Amino acid sequence: MLAATIRRTPFLGKMFDVDESTGLSDINTWPAMMIMTSFVWLIVAILLGALMPVIQIAEMDTNLFYSAITLHGAALAFPFLFQFMMGISLHRSGGCMGKSASGTLTTLIYVCMNGGAVLLTLAVIGGLKITYTVMYPLPLVGAQLGQWSMGMVVLGFTGIALVLTSIILLYPIQIIRMSFFGKQREDLLLSARTLKDPGMLGMVMSVMILLVTGTPLMIVAGALLLALYGIVPLEAITWASEPVVFQYVFYIFAHNLMEAMAIMVISAVYATLPLYLADGTRKLYSDKLANLALWILLVTSVTSFFHHFYTTNPGLPSALAYHGNFMSWATGIGAALSTFTILATIWKHGIKTEPGLMAILAGFVVYILDGVNAMVAGNIAVSYQIHGTLWVGGHAMSVLIAMCLMWMGVLYHHYPVITGKKLDTKLGNRFVKFYFIGAIGLLYSFAAGGAMGMPRRFADWSAGPDGWMMVGIAILIFGIFLIVGFATYMQNFLRSRAIS
Amino acid sequence: MLDFIYQTGWGAFTLMLLFQIPFLLIFPYIVYRKSFVNAAPSHTDPRKLSRLETVWLIVAITLFIAANVYSINYMPMVRTAATESSAAVIQDVDVTARSWSYEISNRQFEVGKPVRFSVKSVDTMHGFTVYHPNGKILFNMMLIPGLEKASSLVYTFTEPGKYKVRCLEYCGIAHHAMQDELTVVESGS
Repeated sequence: MLAATIRRTPFLGKMFDVDESTGLSDINTWPAMMIMTSFVWLIVAILLGALMPVIQIAEMDTNLFYSAITLHGAALAFPFLFQFMMGISLHRSGGCMGKSASGTLTTLIYVCMNGGAVLLTLAVIGGLKITYTVMYPLPLVGAQLGQWSMGMVVLGFTGIALVLTSIILLYPIQIIRMSFFGKQREDLLLSARTLKDPGMLGMVMSVMILLVTGTPLMIVAGALLLALYGIVPLEAITWASEPVVFQYVFYIFAHNLMEAMAIMVISAVYATLPLYLADGTRKLYSDKLANLALWILLVTSVTSFFHHFYTTNPGLPSALAYHGNFMSWATGIGAALSTFTILATIWKHGIKTEPGLMAILAGFVVYILDGVNAMVAGNIAVSYQIHGTLWVGGHAMSVLIAMCLMWMGVLYHHYPVITGKKLDTKLGNRFVKFYFIGAIGLLYSFAAGGAMGMPRRFADWSAGPDGWMMVGIAILIFGIFLIVGFATYMQNFLRSRAIS
Repeated sequence: MLDFIYQTGWGAFTLMLLFQIPFLLIFPYIVYRKSFVNAAPSHTDPRKLSRLETVWLIVAITLFIAANVYSINYMPMVRTAATESSAAVIQDVDVTARSWSYEISNRQFEVGKPVRFSVKSVDTMHGFTVYHPNGKILFNMMLIPGLEKASSLVYTFTEPGKYKVRCLEYCGIAHHAMQDELTVVESGS
């Protein structure tokens, strides 16, 4: 039934029609559904992303800008990229562990993610403009000041809670279940891997990060939701409704969400790169070094979130600021080891120039460049110059764009298994070029805007020096490159041909 | 040079490029060479690769440490502590932020005289960012309502002029209009 639903979906259905003849439906159909749905959200995010500079250049309504920025960020980060990642990782996990990626839990993951995202979208359309970082207590203060209604706050928070349930609880439980429990099915086993394999280790690390760092936010958000529904009085949950409490549990999660997604995708790179080595070795330069890089990323990233609070000093004690500074740069050691592992592997064995691998490597370049951007911002002295500017907005966006490009490359590899169709190399290479130019251009445009002191989430670029609008125009131009890249990617799926 | 790197946005941009350029030279070169020029396996001595691995790591760690050690004296908390221990008089300014305005106890300051800004928000998240008349950010502060201690730092203006204040934390539909102005005059005027 699910496969039929995919097939009947207009436009996208043709791209993700699952090949049922292989008997792999249990690891293909739900992932295909998730990937297909994530692309619907990506189209929404892309249109809104392009709309923002247009609103500024045409001096349109600032309210429209704040609605667009809220929905763009939310759609890009969660129902698009996270869902895209869930789809591919469930397929990978199923094929590597020989376990079904279907069932009630997967259905719930999908329903919570997309149902929650739809509710949040409706709330934004209804007037809620809180950005994807919520900016608590802005939702409540905004309702008190008449910026939006309390009904929209309740609707939006319900949506957010559902999305968080999918990300923090259901998806990690499903990956843990597939990795550690249940009987292996030989018929689903495509490429057996163990948890010693860097390609699987990162996946398990990621979901553990989500579960551990996200649970406090689930508790606080759950308490707030109970108060918003009127089930408990607001006075009874003051421990949860304190802005400082919410901000800390939010950033402990949100920061580590990005780190978890990065660890997950680096792990997928470790798994995919060896498959495209020119000499057919199918081995990384060193699994131990690759695993060490993942462990360093895991350990250092967890407490580096303090960098989000440097500029509240002395609200954030100096000792914790120094710790955040140290850990933010220590993540770079993990990245340096990852870089070395990938380069040494390529150097030793050579690579085949397949578009999927090129997308992965191009995404890795953007990821490392953006990592440097983040490390620089993670320095306390520098943070006082650029925190709150386009620099940090650009960092969040670039890491998403980089991970997206790497996952798109990984999907190139898995697409024939899922659909039984092959992709066109020429279109694939064209997609990588356009997307890469767009990604790099956006990264430097945002960083330049930040260097100029241009605020993020700010609906009046004309209020600043002339350079601000130039940055806006550059963002629009490179955004168009990104759109053309994505359109080419989709075109390739549309033109895919059955493998004879 | 260090003043530029750690006290200006373009300095941060330069620091970013200093780390990115070596990566941008090495990574694409190796990928290009091993995919388009000669994809054949390289018979590099494993011991040589192992040595290279150590050198790579040491260089990265050394550069990371250097970039941060040099920044210590530019960290606002360090500068604030140094000024507090050396300055005879520090002018105290209390700022209260609310949607979408600032209450500032004093908007005029003198060149060369340290000012301690203590800034609080009473409703939602706000920012307090001071811009030099040339558009460069001098410092910014994030304000979380309910924090027991106000966000605080000591800053000494070095040039007279009109300094714009902006909120850099999104705070609702008129966030972009949350602005103010400080005036800095020559000492004794």
